[in-house]
Amino acid sequence: MSILGGGVFKGMVVTLRNFVGSYFYKDRLTTNDYSWRPNDKLPQRAGDYPKEEGEQLRDTTTVTNYSRNFPMLLHDGGEPMDTVRCVACQICERECPPQCIYIEKSTEKKENASGKPQFYPATFDIDVSVCMSCQICVEVCPFDAIVMNSQFELSTPNRFGGLLLRRDDLLKSNDYYHRIHPEEAAARDQRIADEKAAKQAKKMAAAEAAKNKAEEKARAEAEANKDTADAEKDAE
Amino acid sequence: MSLDLIRDILIATVPLLVIFPTLFAFTTWLERKVLARIQNRVGPNKVGVPLTRYGGRLSLFGLGQPLADGIKMLFKENIVPRDADRLFHLLAPILALIPAMLVLCFLPLNFPWINDIQDSVKAFMLDGAVIFFFAISGLNTLAIFMAGWASRNKYSLLGGMRAIAQMVSYEIPLVLSAVVVVMMVGSLNANSIAGAQAGWNWFIFTPWGFAAFVIFFISALAETNRSPFDLPEAESEIIAGYFTEYSGFKFALFFLGEYIAIFAISGLAVTLFLGGGAGPGVAALPWLSVVWFLVKIFTLIAVMIWLRGTLPRLRVDQLMGFAWKFLLPLSILNIFIAGAALHLVAGERLADLDQKQPILRQLMEGANPLVVAGLWIGALLILYVAAKGLNQLNRAKVRPREYKYAE
Repeated sequence: MSILGGGVFKGMVVTLRNFVGSYFYKDRLTTNDYSWRPNDKLPQRAGDYPKEEGEQLRDTTTVTNYSRNFPMLLHDGGEPMDTVRCVACQICERECPPQCIYIEKSTEKKENASGKPQFYPATFDIDVSVCMSCQICVEVCPFDAIVMNSQFELSTPNRFGGLLLRRDDLLKSNDYYHRIHPEEAAARDQRIADEKAAKQAKKMAAAEAAKNKAEEKARAEAEANKDTADAEKDAE
Repeated sequence: MSLDLIRDILIATVPLLVIFPTLFAFTTWLERKVLARIQNRVGPNKVGVPLTRYGGRLSLFGLGQPLADGIKMLFKENIVPRDADRLFHLLAPILALIPAMLVLCFLPLNFPWINDIQDSVKAFMLDGAVIFFFAISGLNTLAIFMAGWASRNKYSLLGGMRAIAQMVSYEIPLVLSAVVVVMMVGSLNANSIAGAQAGWNWFIFTPWGFAAFVIFFISALAETNRSPFDLPEAESEIIAGYFTEYSGFKFALFFLGEYIAIFAISGLAVTLFLGGGAGPGVAALPWLSVVWFLVKIFTLIAVMIWLRGTLPRLRVDQLMGFAWKFLLPLSILNIFIAGAALHLVAGERLADLDQKQPILRQLMEGANPLVVAGLWIGALLILYVAAKGLNQLNRAKVRPREYKYAE
């Protein structure tokens, strides 16, 4: 027979433990207070935040390996626009449920990281005030060009231009991706390598098959020639 | 009306109109802080002294937050729905605030300056102060329904209907639990009730007083729309209930009225059960009684905030069942127990008790300690068994849920 109203006290003990504990154990807190502002200036637009390694990304309470916030564009290192993976195919733009992506395709082609001439995004904007962080753009991208970033502190006093992330704000290196989401990045790289290897193997196999076929054909032809030669010989 | 009378009225009322809204601002901050800590968050900690740089060089644990909120509320747009009844839409927040402010006068707060003014303007010296308290604080319900009806919005109306059902139901156990104290003191005068508990003779230290206090506190939670009884403004069900169509300063007035009502009803609980301004050091320093009174009010408010951080909201049927099937029978039983106990302990002496002196000490004089101990234990046992029985009785009607397709 339980004490009447005992459940209330049980619950109150739990909340009391949280109340007191949050003053003594920092790791209980779900958010951390940190100072990120360079020179105490408010950033006028989202792009003014530290691009690669903000203090906020070292805040391991908020940014875990699995946290995600808004998309970013990947490049393979060096000058971002030389190695950008995006080919402006606009699949993400079409699939985006709140339609927060705006892409303009380049008019001419340019060599990408693998030395192949490709289109590139002349404009690539994401309105983070509209984005709902659903990650569908990441799912549909066939080029592994768009992935989720963990940067979360994007507030700005300018609500119109300030929340529009431009292409150059979105470009992040693959190394950075490895730093913020090591497991996911490694898995993605592995998959890209596997696919590449599989493609290579298929190509090799195809080449081999073609070669074998050619050889067979040649042999068959040679045999046929031989046969006809023999026949001609016989006829003589 | 003489000039002296006007001066006395101002002295009696103006401090209340200054002190309690200030405390209200502090309480909103306290509530946000405590709720945040209960949820392992930090709570407001940025807004501090105005005009120091943002980033909070002088943030003082976010104590500037109420000020910033107040300024924000003051300058926000006043939105009135097109189809709303404009007059009542305007009147409702005012009417919600006035009774809450009015009943503060009935709290026996012995400010140092209160002795200089004449007795006729001290509302708590009124012979029916407790009755007046309930009568006037009941007007709140009207304001809330007015707000719900005037907004012409289904959520507002639902909130208003819920508020009426809830407040009418919980008013009864609230008053009935106060009756026990009135029986013990033999007076409805708030000052006598507080004076009768001088020293440590608080009524909460008697079994019937304790039970009455618990019932009173639960009913007070429901009367002031506090969680877990915040159905009239349940955000997750009906947006904000009767608040839904209110913005800007009208909303702030509602908010203020709600918190002032919490202060008032906590003050009444302190007066009735927790000895009013009684506490250590009061005999030597009379102004300490005000401090003790406010400390006790804030203790009760802290418990309310703690409960808000702990308990989920009740369903409507649970709420009504709790009032009518549990609190009401229990508070009636409590009155009978208190009456029987008083008769057994004091008997014929009841009529001779001096209302100005600690009642419990007078009752205990010459009583057999064994009888008293037996009475105390017996009363507690009866109340507990009755509560448990009511609980079982109410529970038996609920069939276990049958799952047709799950499992």
